[in-house]
Amino acid sequence: MTPTYPTWKMSVVQGVKKTTMELWNSRKDVGYYEVGVFDESWEPIPFVTAYRIIKIDYLSKVKFDIYIRTQDIVEARYICSLSKLRSNDESKTLLATRICSKFK
Amino acid sequence: MKKLLITLSFILGATPILAENVDITGTVQSRCTVNMDTPGAYGNPNAFTLTTLPSSSGQEPIVRFDVTLANAYHAQVSYPTAFTSSPSLSDTVAWTGTVAVAQMSSSDQSGYQAASTTSGSMRQYALAHAGTLWVKATSIAVYGGGQAKAFPGGSYKSVVLASCVAQ
Repeated sequence: MTPTYPTWKMSVVQGVKKTTMELWNSRKDVGYYEVGVFDESWEPIPFVTAYRIIKIDYLSKVKFDIYIRTQDIVEARYICSLSKLRSNDESKTLLATRICSKFK
Repeated sequence: MKKLLITLSFILGATPILAENVDITGTVQSRCTVNMDTPGAYGNPNAFTLTTLPSSSGQEPIVRFDVTLANAYHAQVSYPTAFTSSPSLSDTVAWTGTVAVAQMSSSDQSGYQAASTTSGSMRQYALAHAGTLWVKATSIAVYGGGQAKAFPGGSYKSVVLASCVAQ
């Protein structure tokens, strides 16, 4: 995901707003990303999207909408995509990458 | 002359207009990307320690940040504080680690490490310049709560979390 400064827009549901994000996969070794919404202290904020874990091919992009209750908008500060890792049999450290956009 | 003009107008009128659609394509890539440069591996210098230190036959994971926009992002790297998979462990594991700049693409970035801030296991760099930054994370896990108990045999994995956060 390109770190940007998204804004909340009206949705078709009363009391719910939405924003549209675009996810871009620059990692050849990753095929899935998990989306999350967080407050200033990185505590999770409830939200709805079609799929929290999104399959995306290498160098491809996917657009998706995130819906949030109007009452949570003040708290919501970051929308992040976190890479999901596959397990294997080696003893090693893996890399989870997270790209976060910020509401100003 | 008049006949020639009439003939020409018929010929031109009959000629199909050859138009071709020329596509303009472009790809907007992320202005901040995070990738694994070097995968990490644990060495096992003694029965109760797992470490990524090269002096103990480990390998420090190195993360690469590519930024094309200055003063727009924070890079955050956290060393592991738990195994994501391991054999069953009945005793506690003491975790330590460090995060440090391994390499930079420009001398402008030389102040990044000194200006960085920490919060628990996470170190944050303000990416004030466009360019590439390589950050290494060291992880040390000691088993047995100070009693030097041997790690059970098996496969151990942990995760370094690297984030690019809009400022």
